[in-house]
Amino acid sequence: MRNFVENPRVSCSLSGGLGTLGAIYRAIPILHAGPGCGIQASIGTQIDYLGGGTGCPSTNTYEKEVIFGGEQRLRETIQGTLDVIDADVYVVLSGCTAGIIGDDIQSVVEEFQDSGHTVLAIETAGFKGDTYYGYSVTMLALFKHLAQKTVTEEKTVNLFGLVPNLDITSNGDFEELVRVLGRIGVNANTFFYIPDGVEQFRHAGNAALNINLSPWLLSNVEALLQSSFGIQTLHYPGLPVGPTATSDFLRKVGETLGIDKALVERVIREEEDYVYRYYEHALRELYRYIIVGDVNTVLGYSRYLTNDVGQVAYAAIITDQLPQSKRAAVEEELSHLEYGKPPKIFYENDKFKISEIIREHEDFINLILGSSYEKEIASELDTFHVTLSYPCTDQHILNKSHIGYRGCLTLIEDMYNNL
Amino acid sequence: MATKLLDALREDRPGFTSSQGGPECYLRGKSRGGCLKPADRTFAQTTQCQQMNAIATLLSMEDSVFIVHAPDGCSGCASMFNESYKVGQYHRGKRVAKNAHIVSSSFDENDVIMGGETKLRTTIRSVVQRYQPKIVFLFSSCSSGIIGDDIDAVAAELQKDYDSTVIIPIHCEGFKSKIHSTGFDVVFNAIQNYIIGDDRPETEEGLVNIFATTSIGYADQLELERMLKAIGLKVNYIPFFSSYEKLKKIPAAEYSVSVCQVFADTYMKFLYEEYGIPYVITGMPVGTRSTDRWLTEIAKMVGKEEEAAAFLARERAAVLPEIESLREKIQGRRVFVCTGTGRGVAAATLIEDYNMKLVGIQSPTYEDAYVDDYERLAEFHGDDFIIDVATMQPFEQVNLVNRLKPDFFIGIGSWVDKLGIPNTHILEPKRPTFGYRGVVYLGRKIATALENTAWADKMAAHRKLPYRDSWYQQDAFHYMKREEDEE
Repeated sequence: MRNFVENPRVSCSLSGGLGTLGAIYRAIPILHAGPGCGIQASIGTQIDYLGGGTGCPSTNTYEKEVIFGGEQRLRETIQGTLDVIDADVYVVLSGCTAGIIGDDIQSVVEEFQDSGHTVLAIETAGFKGDTYYGYSVTMLALFKHLAQKTVTEEKTVNLFGLVPNLDITSNGDFEELVRVLGRIGVNANTFFYIPDGVEQFRHAGNAALNINLSPWLLSNVEALLQSSFGIQTLHYPGLPVGPTATSDFLRKVGETLGIDKALVERVIREEEDYVYRYYEHALRELYRYIIVGDVNTVLGYSRYLTNDVGQVAYAAIITDQLPQSKRAAVEEELSHLEYGKPPKIFYENDKFKISEIIREHEDFINLILGSSYEKEIASELDTFHVTLSYPCTDQHILNKSHIGYRGCLTLIEDMYNNL
Repeated sequence: MATKLLDALREDRPGFTSSQGGPECYLRGKSRGGCLKPADRTFAQTTQCQQMNAIATLLSMEDSVFIVHAPDGCSGCASMFNESYKVGQYHRGKRVAKNAHIVSSSFDENDVIMGGETKLRTTIRSVVQRYQPKIVFLFSSCSSGIIGDDIDAVAAELQKDYDSTVIIPIHCEGFKSKIHSTGFDVVFNAIQNYIIGDDRPETEEGLVNIFATTSIGYADQLELERMLKAIGLKVNYIPFFSSYEKLKKIPAAEYSVSVCQVFADTYMKFLYEEYGIPYVITGMPVGTRSTDRWLTEIAKMVGKEEEAAAFLARERAAVLPEIESLREKIQGRRVFVCTGTGRGVAAATLIEDYNMKLVGIQSPTYEDAYVDDYERLAEFHGDDFIIDVATMQPFEQVNLVNRLKPDFFIGIGSWVDKLGIPNTHILEPKRPTFGYRGVVYLGRKIATALENTAWADKMAAHRKLPYRDSWYQQDAFHYMKREEDEE
């Protein structure tokens, strides 16, 4: 059972589905949901092809549908969508109303099997879970219905576990991951924000390896790709940020795929040189920080700031619903970084309580790394704040990255510019 | 406390529709003939729900907590309005902008099965302990509404434990009304029933309630106050950036005025009937004609017509040369307007000031309150401009704009860039868009957009809208079920 939360950082499962589909160009959501859901659930997502949440087809279920059922409205809406909107994949997402009244969206979708279009349905009623849940069930459905295999491509990987939008620099971060993997000859399917995302799903069965960046999400997808296509998964929990972590990431991927070590080491040397040349020019303050964010963010930036930049992690507040069973491994990693003492670790998603934790440790820190919500407590305590985690509402971010080799330099810039 | 105001759905008003389309003369004829009916869409894009409007109306109340009894997704727009709230605080000179206390009950599957009232009680108790707010607003949602959580009973039960906090249930389940502005009515009813109740404060001379929609920036608030000061009125600005005390003062006002034909209109009528507070319903003071009408109508009510006329003459004289010079640059252009009902009608009068011609307008609703406004627009623009009565539905506007090929577009829509039409929105937090100063500001904005059309030209060359070519050949109102079709 979920507790109430002040200033929620994530949205509902419908939003997770919308955000995931919206990030795949020409894959479009058809909402079988209430009248406001397309706007409410699209806040914080990028649905660029449709022009945002307002472009999403929707059954807009009103009282009539609540009482008499909404399957006929859904049928009309799917047909209208196919007639009006040009796309590669059409996905019905259900909202709370459809979920509670029990409309059978799968059977309605099956009626469109012979339409010449790919039409899928996913149960994403908002009360079923949060954005992460919506991401997880949507990814599973897309791989299940789209992925095929013709031949194993030895140097192709499926990269997932990074929830679109919930990493505030996700467009740029995917680009940087594709770039660094490309340098060692690895072709990464990242599915999101690219023109051929749907094609990447269709060919995902050809990959030689999956890389999962989340310590807790998408084990369902891993199992599916293993059983359907025999694809193994390399786990690298958290964002790879900065030279030490990104080099470690490349070595692990290189080793798993059997890539020439000399090539990997040459790329690492060149990329690290690039970063350290800029470090000579970098303005670096010394901080004891408290970091607030989802586990991918906390792991990734804690590793970087501690192991590379020489900052001291005082505390970490993890805001996603990391399952109990996955916590020990995350705590173990945060406590045994190459440099620095173990930080205090908290699990909290309520803004008031997070602010209270920060206030308690005020004397020991001089930097808050968190979402735009933490700006408030930072102003109140007159402490430095840098926006690193979701939601980020104080900056307009298009393609900048904070991760990998190049992104970590942008992060150093942002840390200075935000002071 | 006796309930004096009853919730009524907007769609139950006579002559009201949120789904229709056609030339101005067609809709007006049907409406005047008493035979304008909604033409429901068999295909639609997402609309807006009344919960969003209810939350938006109240979210800038600084001494309140907002509990959304729903899954976290229903706090999505609240998070967005929170950003406007923070920007609004900044514009009002607050260096440390606070977040609105938005609390989601995180309604989940367990609550669907077992009911969410226990969780709601815990949530209320916790937030009262955290903030000792003057008001706790409880917003219902589709999910908590369908399973039948009784927010009234929970509010009444917990109210007994608190003396200095009012707990106010707001019934705004999205599925209940097709018209999102029903959310405004629900809010004013709750304010009356739970905050004002049986209060009968003494009338304060010269005090006027200004019921203002949330899209109005601080500069426009100041402009409204300046115009009303010119006719000797002092403003109680409601409910944006308001407080418990300011709401309590509503019945102490001598007059009521709204800045939109359909915002707080029923509530102002109630205040007249119950407290004898006279009111006028005028549009939004955007453009010289709407500005003149707005202030003159108010002045008539308060008996200050001469003062208003003198003020308007001074204002007019100050900007007339600039308006004339701008007119030279932008006149003759054909315009499509897509900005919401009240602001849209006002924007259509603004373009008259510059001799631009209206070819089409999108409006979330069409109702009796607007028929006269449209008739006035027809006098200048002709009665053949197209009205798309739609809550958003960009697919229809894309079709219309592609067909009508306007020279300019007023509104917010990233899609219009992809059709290569130069455009601007007319919302502005730092400079007034209202009054004569606003006419100049917006005129310059339109002239600027027309001076450099690079963005839209090049977007159109590079990016395509998601609609099939065949859709552009269809009638824009193809998916409306019209009565004629059924006969």
